[in-house]
Amino acid sequence: MTGAADVKSKVVQVSPEVKAIHRRMLRRQRLTRAFTYLVGILISLWVLIPILFIASMALTTPAEVRSYPKSILPFIPLSTETIAFFLGSKGILPGMRNSIVVALITLTLSILIAAPAGYAISRFLFRGRDLFRLSILAVRAFPIVILSIPLAVVFLRVGIFDSVYSLALMHTALALPTTILVLSSVFSSIPYELEEAAMVFGCSPFQAFRHVVLPLVMPGIAASAIFTFVLSWNEVFAATILTIENRTLPAQVLVTLNQSSEPYQFAGGFFMMIPALIFIFFIRRYLFNMWGQIAK
Amino acid sequence: MSIASRSKGRKKINWAPYLLILPSLVYLVLFFGWPMVQGLILAVREEGALLTLRSKAELNSSIAGQLPRGIQVGILNRQANPIPPEDLDQSNLPTEGWFQIRGQDTEGQTIEGWTPEQRIRVRELDESGAPVTGSVRLILASDADPLTRIYTEANEESEVVGRMEARTPVEILDQATIEVWFLISGEHENKTIEGWVPSRYIRALSDGTQGRIEQGDKSQFTTRYIQRMVNDRFFWPALRTTLLLVVLIIPAQFVLAIIMALVIQADLKGGGIFLYIFAIALGVSDLAVGILWYSIFTQSGYLNSILQGLGLIDSPIIYLSANTRYWIIIAIWLAEVWRATALVMVIVVAGMQAISREVLEAAEVFGATLWQRIRYVILPLLRPSLQVALILRTILAFQVFAVVIVLSGGDIMTVLANETYRQYYDQRNFNVAAAYASFILLLSMITSFFYLRAVRTQEEVAE
Repeated sequence: MTGAADVKSKVVQVSPEVKAIHRRMLRRQRLTRAFTYLVGILISLWVLIPILFIASMALTTPAEVRSYPKSILPFIPLSTETIAFFLGSKGILPGMRNSIVVALITLTLSILIAAPAGYAISRFLFRGRDLFRLSILAVRAFPIVILSIPLAVVFLRVGIFDSVYSLALMHTALALPTTILVLSSVFSSIPYELEEAAMVFGCSPFQAFRHVVLPLVMPGIAASAIFTFVLSWNEVFAATILTIENRTLPAQVLVTLNQSSEPYQFAGGFFMMIPALIFIFFIRRYLFNMWGQIAK
Repeated sequence: MSIASRSKGRKKINWAPYLLILPSLVYLVLFFGWPMVQGLILAVREEGALLTLRSKAELNSSIAGQLPRGIQVGILNRQANPIPPEDLDQSNLPTEGWFQIRGQDTEGQTIEGWTPEQRIRVRELDESGAPVTGSVRLILASDADPLTRIYTEANEESEVVGRMEARTPVEILDQATIEVWFLISGEHENKTIEGWVPSRYIRALSDGTQGRIEQGDKSQFTTRYIQRMVNDRFFWPALRTTLLLVVLIIPAQFVLAIIMALVIQADLKGGGIFLYIFAIALGVSDLAVGILWYSIFTQSGYLNSILQGLGLIDSPIIYLSANTRYWIIIAIWLAEVWRATALVMVIVVAGMQAISREVLEAAEVFGATLWQRIRYVILPLLRPSLQVALILRTILAFQVFAVVIVLSGGDIMTVLANETYRQYYDQRNFNVAAAYASFILLLSMITSFFYLRAVRTQEEVAE
């Protein structure tokens, strides 16, 4: 009690020198703060301006896209002509449908397979747990390129080459390690005591999971699912190698890149970015959960 | 992290976690481990490089020797053999059909025996489509025997039961599919090897006594594909560009990512919007990023538009051409830094969140400047995160693909992943493509090992 009173009296009786130091520190802090804002804004511009460029290309007339010099002010004239031209091009709508189908199958499969494993890692101490975790990490770090060629050869032999399903199988393999790690961290964030309490009140382990844990982890699982969707939507290399007729959107754009016009390319580039712009906004809080986990 | 089973009895093994991880284990082995191994095998194994010669015209007779694909052989003899049933559904097998028939021979006796399918014109089929009756065909060639021979077995080497005249009506009792075997002799490593092989592996020349081994039945370890890769005229440029990009991209990404992380960790009002903006690129595909930067660097693109608007240039500069490779490198560098820094940033931020506030505040109280805090407190504590980010980023940088294709057309400037794609897609050469992929794997493993090693020795030195 006396100590607290001492501190109080000391604060009251600060000498002018201390006050000056205090002010200087405050000013320095404010300066640092302003500087940090400045840096943040500069980096934001570095990220946003290119996006603005491509967006204004996609949302204008093809004539403007071809013109030179381009107006630096974006969206003049504003028009959906270019993006409509892109969407109307051959193979784009089917490609989009394929992309969505592949991404949906991938996210369903990877969540279904990864959720039990993530739960096991977060809730059980079992022999081989660290080995399993470590091998998942190692798998995450292996180059994707090497998978595509042998899978293409095998899919050709088995007769499921060039189908959205075989591509989804491949994308699931790519997404699975990350999904397992993310989900294990999501489950870890729910205290086990909650489950225990439910079981004390007579729930079976499954019921405890179904009624207590599942509602709490749903947002995390959704974030992971969204991320898997974006991963599959973006994947180019395997998609180009594993499909011929049933191309996904990125594969279609890549293969026709050399024979296509600039309005088509720019509109395609922007269109492929849209899911990222939307989805990253929703899952930004979970990003560290996801990728931070990898560094642990 | 709460560990449930710790409190439970240790005696009994709890199988639940194993059951839970089983599906993912199976999946990863099936679609990750196995293709990885297959990829390595594809790169070093030549399918059908050797042909096995048998002592008799049977698949399970003893082995007489092996000959490599592509050599000339003499065909000494031929024999027809029934095909093993598991090979029957294989297409493009050179087979012969034989009929077992019953009919009158030239002497008026009813005989039974086998004759090649093409000697009989089928007249009637039963409901299952099998031939029931037919007649002997006319032999048109003037110098040939006008009579059709009937054999005891479905084999021209077997005994002749009798001969039939053309147009003799016959009953068809049975049919068999046979394959011709050749007795071949060829020279390999100064030894002459003689033995029987199924004719499907041999392309016989028109005179029927000479042929070439088209395909073997055994695979063989080979360095041919690796040699083809290394001698490919794009290999060294691709390797050089890939390494150059790694060296250029990685440091820039790390510096930028650490600055981004410091901004986010500064707890600014409205800092959440920074997080969103910095993380956007995390969800953008490399193809889209390539196109994005192409719109800036193309001849009528934004860079030229801005420069011309400022009056710095009179006519547009051509950046992305074979004569200005350094501009292509710069464009790829910017695009990759723009795109992939977000990943490093997220890992670094997650690492920073693990650093306790007290440590940072203590450093601040003792008057450490921002730079000193970064250099002596934050960076050492971040080392594990940075190490992981470094490994991940380097491995991803070895696979840079779509950005390069978009910005260089895939010809002027090439990288290893692009060569993998080209070998697979344009050249249709799976093995060389697999060799490229394996090479990327090897590079990744060497660098990961190097990073882990370098960090560990640093720690040992520090102790």
